[in-house]
This record gives sequence, C-alpha cells and structure tokens, in this order.
Amino acid sequence: METDVLIIGGGPAGLAAAIETATRGLDVTIVDESSSLGGQLCQQTQLIRPLPSVYQPMRGFELAKVLTEQINDFTVGTLLNHRVIGLYADGSVGLSDEEKVFPVKAKKIVVATGAAEQAVAFPKWTLPGIITIGAAQTLVNRDFVMPGKEAVIVGSSDFALDVASQLLEVGVEVKGIVEKNPAAAAREKEKTDALIGRGIPFYFNSFIKEARGNGQVEEIDIEVNGEILTVSADVVCIDGGRSPILDSFYQLGCSFGYQKELGGWIPQYNRQFKTDRENVFLAGNAAGISQQGALLLTGMIAGISICEDLQTIRSGEAEEIRDALWEELKLSEYKDVWEGRTKHIEKFSSPVLKDQFIS
Amino acid sequence: MHIENHPILGKQLQEPVTFYFNDQPYKAYTQQSVAAALMANGVKKFGLSRKLVQSRGLFCSRGRCCSCYMTVNGEDHVRTCMTKVEEGMSVYPNLEDPEVRREKHGD
Amino acid sequence: MDKTTIICRCEEISYEEVEEVIEHGGRTFDDVKRLTRCGMGPCQAKICTGLVANIIHEHTALPLSEIPLQRMRMPLSPIKLEILATNSTAFSAVKSVLDEVEIEDGKVR
Repeated sequence: METDVLIIGGGPAGLAAAIETATRGLDVTIVDESSSLGGQLCQQTQLIRPLPSVYQPMRGFELAKVLTEQINDFTVGTLLNHRVIGLYADGSVGLSDEEKVFPVKAKKIVVATGAAEQAVAFPKWTLPGIITIGAAQTLVNRDFVMPGKEAVIVGSSDFALDVASQLLEVGVEVKGIVEKNPAAAAREKEKTDALIGRGIPFYFNSFIKEARGNGQVEEIDIEVNGEILTVSADVVCIDGGRSPILDSFYQLGCSFGYQKELGGWIPQYNRQFKTDRENVFLAGNAAGISQQGALLLTGMIAGISICEDLQTIRSGEAEEIRDALWEELKLSEYKDVWEGRTKHIEKFSSPVLKDQFIS
Repeated sequence: MHIENHPILGKQLQEPVTFYFNDQPYKAYTQQSVAAALMANGVKKFGLSRKLVQSRGLFCSRGRCCSCYMTVNGEDHVRTCMTKVEEGMSVYPNLEDPEVRREKHGD
Repeated sequence: MDKTTIICRCEEISYEEVEEVIEHGGRTFDDVKRLTRCGMGPCQAKICTGLVANIIHEHTALPLSEIPLQRMRMPLSPIKLEILATNSTAFSAVKSVLDEVEIEDGKVR
C-alpha cells in the first residue's frame, strides 16, 4: 500500500494534521488501534478550552465528532483497528489488522501517538480495582460502566479532578483525593474549589501506605502527616501524570531530548514539527504534553509543513500560516510549557541523545 | 453496574448481548469492551500473575499494560480492554501461562 | 517506599530488586532489565519505565535527563506469531527470525 501522508494515531492532533493535508489535495491515510477516530477526546465530557480560533468552545466528544466529520468530506483512508508493529528495512511502516502484517510506503509520516499515563507504585497497587484515572474515565464515559461505588483518587492534576467530577456525576462516591505535595497539582484552582465545595476531602502531603483486599481492592491506608487513615474503597484511580509515547519514533530512528515541561523524553523537532529523520513529522502529546487546543495547533503546523514539502502550498504562504499558528500556540498553552517547547526547538540542531537506535 | 442514563451523554446502551464468564451468562452491551462488561457485572479479578500468583484485573484500559489478559473464545492472552464484547462470547480468566504445544496450533 | 512494592507488574520485580541493581552500579533502565528481567514481560516496559527512572534518580541524584530511554523493540505491541508467520504480505525486517521458518499447512516443518 502507498500513500502521500501516513498519520499514526487518529486523535485530535492526527486529525488536525489530516485536515490540513487532505484539504490541500494530498492522499492521506490515518491508522489507529481503536475502532473509532478521535482518540482520547471521545470520552472527554468536559468543556475543552481554549480551542484554536476556527472552533467554537465545545466538549471533548463533540470536538472529536467535528474533526472526524471534517475529514469525511475528503478522501482520507482510515485504517481503524490497525496497529503499527514496526518498521520494514526499506522505511515502510508495518501495520497489522490482526490477520496479517503489511507494509505501507508513505512519502511523509506524522507520528501522533499521544501520551501514556504514568504509574504510581505502592504496596499492592496491582490489585484488581486499582486502575489509572484514564481507565476510570473510559469506563464511565465510553463503556457506560460504573468502575465501583467508592473511589479514592491518587494525584490531583486538572485531568484527575475533571474525572473526579465525572465519577461523582454518575453516582460514584469519591472518598478522597490523595496528593503527595502540599497543594493540588491542578492549575485551574476552581476545579479544586468545586470539589472541596462538594465535600470531597483532599489529603495533602499524603501517600498510599498500602492497599488491601481479597482478590480485589477493598481498603487502603493513606498516610496523612505521619498518621494512618484507613479508607474503604472498591476502586482506586492512579493519576501519575502523562508522558509521550515514543515507540514509533524509536523504530524510525529519531533522536530524543529531555524537556521536563513537555513530559520528559521527547523526539527532537524543529519549527516545522519535523524530526531529525527525513520525512518524519510529529504532532500532539507525542511532541510534548499540552492542552487540547495546543495539540490541534501542533497537528495543523505539521500538516502545513508537509504540504510545503510536497509543494501543494507555496513556501511563503506556508511560512505565513505557520507563523500565525505558532502565535496562537503561544496563547493556547501554559507559559512554562511554551517556554519548554521554545527551548526544545532551539536544541534541535544539537540533540542530547543521538543514535540511540540500534537494530 | 451499567450506566443506563449518562448525565451528559444520555441513554447510550442499546444493543444488549449475553456473554459467558466461567460458563455463567452475563449481560452487556455491544459497544463495551470485554473488560468493561465484566466490571459492569461486578467481576474485577481477570486472572493471576505468573510468578507470585496474585490477582490481576483491568489497569490502563489502553491496551498497553496487558494486565487484563484473559482467554476469549478459546484464544489465550487477549487484551480484554481492547476487545469488544460479542453475543455468545466465552471468557475465562488467565490463571496460568497457556499450553502452547497443542495440535490445533501446530505442535 | 516499601521494599516489597512491585515495580514491574508483568515480571513482578520488586523495589528492592531494582535498588540492588543500582547498588551494583546500574544507572539505566536497560541495566536493571538485564539483571532482573524488569520490563521483559508482555507489556515490554510500557508501565515500569518511569518508575525505574525515578528510583535511579532518587538513589543516585542523577538528573532524569541523564537516565536514557530503554531500548524499544519490535513488535511494538503483542501480536500473534501466527500473524507474523503465515499471513504477512511481504518478507522483510518485521518478520526477522520468522523468515527462516518454513510453514506447511499451518505447521512448522
């Protein structure tokens, strides 16, 4: 199989890149492991803001729908329930549809594999019922299943607090939010205030001492200021933050740099969202963890840059659009993330970690 | 428990199916993953770990951690968080490493 | 952290085992992997990488930027050997060792 642009990952960034490239006449193929496009947006019921100026404010699943509808107007090949399993020697990407493995030869590749949730380990965290915060959200908003009756949340990022409210709305009792630091990690203080207002206890300077249960979690010990508090819970949600998914970049032979503000190790890339590998671009959380609106913008920039490379847009025009998108990106993400991104791009020509790939 | 009426998404559960866990029938809906369908029916323990023989269940729900491995329709080590439940599906827990030298799989 | 806490869920490697590798001079994820099997189970280090990096960081004061990524190998996620061996449309690096196996009627000859 051959295509102009192969987009790995059909989440917001991948779809944004698809829209930019398909609308400019390129033959685009999106591959995604799940059975629908939209990625993690599909189960986001909270309002997404800020969004790029071309979009009205809306909830995550609505945005997923809007983006998907836009690509439906063009001939975009979508390979759902397909996985990237590796790379062929000639540079083709190896996909599997669970029946066979086949190569896809693309002129340009956009890796938009998103982010993975990080774990927080404590004694017996492997017990059933102890799940990631993202898994809890998937159960409630995609599978329409109650993960349990009594939940404890470990970590207090904006995302964790969004999910805490969503759990409350479907009738799960949130018994407490455990945070190792002296204050909530969430940047939007109103999320913390709203939960405190609903009587949800926050345990700061605290951690899980131990989980217990026969075959599944039944209770946990929280160490709060040196004292042990035992709480009954049948679901514990772990929020350990997120970091970019790098497997595909590694196979493609990209160099990596470390940028704490962007989620740790990320591929080296430049202002075009192009990696140091010829024809390999990236977008979304895979290029650094940021907010939904910013993720869309990174996908748009990658898409424009590909159009420029494949000459479906004049270079001057591409540069103009890209400048405008970068301006908007600056306004769409938190200052420290933006500064981290700027620093990361400045380091493009001097990769920190080069040639890690050994076949 | 199934969420019949979601506060934001409304009534989404439409096509019911019956699947079997340890030969017992359970009710689920077509859009659910096998893992979610089991959790809706109060089943959280999906199997045992290989070395310390401890209980395991759903963890990441993203097809990454492999903690939700089960035997589905006779196939071992299926990631149940990435597999949609189907009518008549037969699910067994992942209690030990599968026997690989079987005639039907090519000895 | 409690010494018995599991760090690698798949291979069930404890905090203590990771710590021991660091005491013996281990400074990367792959050091820990080679000496303990940490990260060698079905998930292929997708969950434990960050945990191990943090333990190395805490024990050695090495900044996280100096603790390199682990080697990531094909296949990127679990796949049936049957799919790799019998139904592939092209022979190439993806199949690697399987290229050398001859299959007849679904059986290895």
